[in-house]
Amino acid sequence: MTDIKSQDIEALLETFDGSTWQELHLKIEGLEIFVSKTPGARAPASTGAHHQAEQMPLPLTRATVATAPPHGTQPSASGSGATPAIPEAPAHWVTVRAPNLGTFYRAPKPGAAPYVSVGQKVDAEMEVCLIEVMKLFTNVLAGVSGTVRQIFVEDTELVEYDQPLLLIEPA
Amino acid sequence: MALRRILIANRGEIALRIVRAARSLGVETVLAASAADRESMAAREADRTVVLGPAAARDSYLNPRLIVHAAKATGCDGLHPGYGFLSERSSLAALCAEEGIVFVGPTADSIRAVGDKLSARRLAKAAGVPMTPGSEKLDTGAQAVAFAESVGFPVVTKASAGGGGRGMVVAPDAKTLVEAFERASTEAKEAFGDGTLYVERYVERARHVEVQVLGLGDGRVVHFGERDCSLQRRYQKMVEEAPAAAVPEATRARLHEAAVSLLSSIRYRNAGTVEFLYDIDRDDFYFMEVNARIQVEHPVSEMITGVDLIQLQLEVAGGELPRIEQRDIHPRGHSIEARIIAENPERGFAPSPGRIRLWRPPQGEGVRLDTAMEEGALVPPFYDSMIAKLIVHAADRLSAIARLRAALDAFTVEGVATNIALLRRIAAHPEFIANRLDTRWLESVFLPQYREPKEA
Repeated sequence: MTDIKSQDIEALLETFDGSTWQELHLKIEGLEIFVSKTPGARAPASTGAHHQAEQMPLPLTRATVATAPPHGTQPSASGSGATPAIPEAPAHWVTVRAPNLGTFYRAPKPGAAPYVSVGQKVDAEMEVCLIEVMKLFTNVLAGVSGTVRQIFVEDTELVEYDQPLLLIEPA
Repeated sequence: MALRRILIANRGEIALRIVRAARSLGVETVLAASAADRESMAAREADRTVVLGPAAARDSYLNPRLIVHAAKATGCDGLHPGYGFLSERSSLAALCAEEGIVFVGPTADSIRAVGDKLSARRLAKAAGVPMTPGSEKLDTGAQAVAFAESVGFPVVTKASAGGGGRGMVVAPDAKTLVEAFERASTEAKEAFGDGTLYVERYVERARHVEVQVLGLGDGRVVHFGERDCSLQRRYQKMVEEAPAAAVPEATRARLHEAAVSLLSSIRYRNAGTVEFLYDIDRDDFYFMEVNARIQVEHPVSEMITGVDLIQLQLEVAGGELPRIEQRDIHPRGHSIEARIIAENPERGFAPSPGRIRLWRPPQGEGVRLDTAMEEGALVPPFYDSMIAKLIVHAADRLSAIARLRAALDAFTVEGVATNIALLRRIAAHPEFIANRLDTRWLESVFLPQYREPKEA
């Protein structure tokens, strides 16, 4: 196995961002990365995030490149909000990740019905949760059409940047 | 109330230094890191690490709301901003105060009072601190020329909102000043969001001398002697020493007094530095600016006084005022710091990020290395490229230089380009050894010699 670390991938992305290249396809042993500047290009996965118009904008998230296992903090899968882990999710399932550190909310306000539940069908533009930073709320979009298969995080839990939030089986 | 758990909103050597200082006081640490730093040494040693956002500083280390949210969500009662990034942003201090988090730094009001240079000059003037003849804010090149003619050329333009050389142009005559004014204002606007300029008399042969202080927040301010940071390239310090051995002792005592009286007047709280321009020919000094934070070069002051300035910062912020009196602070010996930077002096000092393949730091008596680097670590391309601070201490300046030279000779780094070879040449240079330096020596004397092909 290669000793590629998350920093290496970040460095690669920064280089790609600053370059005039349109696409980058990299294969090193077990790792495969595809990055493209064309919207809708066939990337393995993406995290969509947009902002409520009345809120002060937070920086837009760049589409996250999915690589094999999630690094960083592993989500807890116990308790009421998060759903039990699926032992081996098929590789084409898409992980929606946190665009930044913040507090995770499953519903638009306390007591309201959650945006999504396990088993629910979503389309790419559908809101699936909120991330709050000091009273500023960022909507996180599904980013892909399909079925919610797992929710990794409890309501009101602190999530870190890039932490897996939901798992979606693409339609 | 002493601090129980602090969030560290920084990276690199200073983050690690704060983690260790806090630990030795029994204060828990949460490191707020970017994705690029999640596997750093500071992340490993902190009690907990949270990843704020992606590598780009604007989405992580420069976002005050993210940082304060992280502090609250992880149960911190204090926040240490380190240096750089948001350390002198009054909005972060204010946000902390609103949210009930102790900012390990000055109050937001103090930061505003000393952070804006024109406001700082007014304070200095009121405290009787000597100043170079300087203007109030100016709107046009013509106004600048009128002022320059009243105090005599050469003059230098300065940005009201910040330092680091941005907005600074030296003008020997009226024609140059008119041409430079607009350019300097645009540069200041781009760098700080505020293009306001003022103009000062330019001192031809100067040393950069600064006084390290600690304000207790109740009006008491103590100092830890001064530092000489004259070796600079493009207004970035490269080598710093304490004490400022070339400045007469009586002048040094006046420097300390000036710094203490300036910061006492606002009941300053936190470690801080008052920077002065020392006029070599007149044996006189002029106020430059206040840095309301811990500075990169703080270790040389620690080495000569035996204190830990980061621990003192934490104690003062937590309201446990350290029992420290001026008469107990006795500088001893001489200390020099050399900044080790991942850059290539042979290629215009281009930053040289990459993986550290080999890391053989010097060790021994009187040698201290502040770093968060090790073999296999990555120097990421997103941030400042300083990778270590090599600090030596000895009985006097010449012994300290000998120690510095031995330590630099023993320092081997592979995988990234560094300035170590250049630092060796500085440390061996007769004029450095003789301490015949000024703020322009490095760029106007040393570097041209350094670039010449070596004789066989």
